[in-house]
Amino acid sequence: MTAVLAIAGTGLRRFLRDRSNYFFVFVFPLLLVVLIGLQFGGEGGESRAIVVGGSDLADQVATGLEDGGATVSRGGSVEDAQETIARGRADAAVVVTEADDAAFGAGEPVELDVVAGSSTQALAARQVVSVELGRVGNDQRGVLSLEAAGIPPDEALAAFDTVAAVGPTVARSTVGDDSLDEAFAGLGQFDLGAAQQVSLFVFLASLAGAASLIQSRQLGVTRRELAGPVTTTQVVAGEALGRFVVAFTQGAYIVAGTAVLFGVDWGDPVATGAVLVAFCAVSASVAMVFGSLLDSVNVASGVGVGVGLVVAALGGSMLPLELFPDNLLTVSAVTPHHWAYEAYAEITRRGGGVGDVLPQLGVLALMTAILLPLGAWLLRRSLARAL
Amino acid sequence: MAAVLACEGLVRRFGDLAAVDDVSFTIAAGETYGLLGPNGAGKTTTISMVAGLLDPDVGVARVLGDPIGPAAVDVKRHIGLVPQELAIYPDLTGRENLAFFGRLQGMRKPDLEARVDEVLEVIGLVDRAGDLAKEYSGGMKRRLNIGIGLLHQPSLLVLDEPTVGVDPQSRNAILESVEALSGEGMAVLYTTHYMEEAERLCDRIAIIDHGRLQAEGTRDELLRLTGEVDRIDLVGSGDLGAAADALRGLSGVERVAHDGHTVTLTVHDAPTLVAPVVSTAVAARMSLADVEVSRPDLESVFLHLTGRALRD
Repeated sequence: MTAVLAIAGTGLRRFLRDRSNYFFVFVFPLLLVVLIGLQFGGEGGESRAIVVGGSDLADQVATGLEDGGATVSRGGSVEDAQETIARGRADAAVVVTEADDAAFGAGEPVELDVVAGSSTQALAARQVVSVELGRVGNDQRGVLSLEAAGIPPDEALAAFDTVAAVGPTVARSTVGDDSLDEAFAGLGQFDLGAAQQVSLFVFLASLAGAASLIQSRQLGVTRRELAGPVTTTQVVAGEALGRFVVAFTQGAYIVAGTAVLFGVDWGDPVATGAVLVAFCAVSASVAMVFGSLLDSVNVASGVGVGVGLVVAALGGSMLPLELFPDNLLTVSAVTPHHWAYEAYAEITRRGGGVGDVLPQLGVLALMTAILLPLGAWLLRRSLARAL
Repeated sequence: MAAVLACEGLVRRFGDLAAVDDVSFTIAAGETYGLLGPNGAGKTTTISMVAGLLDPDVGVARVLGDPIGPAAVDVKRHIGLVPQELAIYPDLTGRENLAFFGRLQGMRKPDLEARVDEVLEVIGLVDRAGDLAKEYSGGMKRRLNIGIGLLHQPSLLVLDEPTVGVDPQSRNAILESVEALSGEGMAVLYTTHYMEEAERLCDRIAIIDHGRLQAEGTRDELLRLTGEVDRIDLVGSGDLGAAADALRGLSGVERVAHDGHTVTLTVHDAPTLVAPVVSTAVAARMSLADVEVSRPDLESVFLHLTGRALRD
């Protein structure tokens, strides 16, 4: 056991000593959490909408949105609205042209352009705009119905306003699994990005660690280890544990760092810890496979980063899984990131505990059960070659 | 004296190639045993079997009476391997490297720390113990490489070409260290293709070529095998092959070998043959830069036994 711990401990020591790792291990992940938080995150406050156009219809939409609690700004061009949304200063915009206004007044069907941002807050704003446009349409249909019944337009409008002010109302409440705003409910601004980045960087750090496995063979250190009173099994176990410790260190740093610096709520610490451990085990196993199959440190580093990023993107570490089309979501399920993402979502958004993420933990454990023996077998084979 | 290492009929094949073919020798405590041979002669494969990294296809190597092999974990505690490559972590300090390999040997604090300090003293790295190994000179890295092999005070120290690529000053320091170790009772197996190192360090020397031991004995015993012949080295350029062919026809010339810039002859009574040898080489269009005459040495022995120069 001493030999196993010595090999694993030295792996961690070498990982932490590599200054080129500092930025990518300690700084970059937190930067990305901030970036994604600003781009996609939302605090759950009021929606910020822009109404482009100066017609009666635009006035009605703006007033309705304000009555619904949104902050509304007016005027400007469509391009101005797009830029404002891209900069994260608004969540959605409604474009009302003169032609739209004329058609609306004539009782013809109208299709308004809505521009929405990519943040979770924008998803909610889009819903608010959609509801408001529906309300305006219903009002207009009511007024036109009264006019068709022979009531003069002014009286029809006054009568409809009176009914709208005192009549019964139906409150809207979103239900159902397919609601995006429900899926992201309960998330703080940086919570989503933190959960995504912990998987991305744990996996990347593990694959980067695969290079040190190759280096040990190339330097002849592995050969020297085996010349001592150490079995091949101990060397393999030490290297596997070393990869795991590196992965866990990276993961624990991001979890702790985002909790302290950005107030990210990771939910049940036992459940989050269990998911992190399970994901680190898969990552370490993949690193063993990489470090045993490849013979070049440079190739391993390059391939590791490439594969790490692709798998992360596929697994929801760059774009939320909720925005994936169904077929891509199915493919995504082959990545460990997918299952970690689902597990973190259960824990951080819906207050889940260990029992609630058992299916995801089971899949991650199954992946480890396949990949770890494969990595160990490949490492044994590469050690034999090195002798 | 009981043998610390006893190799009996070691054979190791890689496909059709017999890298080591029926090699037997013993080393006693306090004895330094040299394996002298050119690159590819089978030295490292022999060492890999002695260090328990490879199983022999045939034969057995015993350390203190116990068979050694990859599965003989406890027997390996008696062996200190100093491999030819610098098997150290460049991104750890000298002290950390020693401590790491010490833990693999099962050493624990505080004994480990005390022993690390002792070894740092022996290899002369006390002042640089806290520096990363990648900041060491080539000679310092070599000394650290040796220090790791000494750390657990093995009964048998196996050094595989430990002075390759080392400056003369560091090389001398390494040789002095090895001399001191055998003086302390450690059995040392030393492989090299530097004749002068074998002559200086080794109590007994085995000459190995093409995987087979060609001869074994003390330096004087090996020299007697040559029939007390002298050696003439002709250094120069031109058609060295033609010069070698021409020199083979000279009376008194026993063997001739050549490489890219040197023709080496073993001869009887070199002083009387120098003049005809030089004129024959010149006549064969060899442009001479230097002529060196030497008394019998291990280079001559190797040439005598194998028909090749040691540096081939």
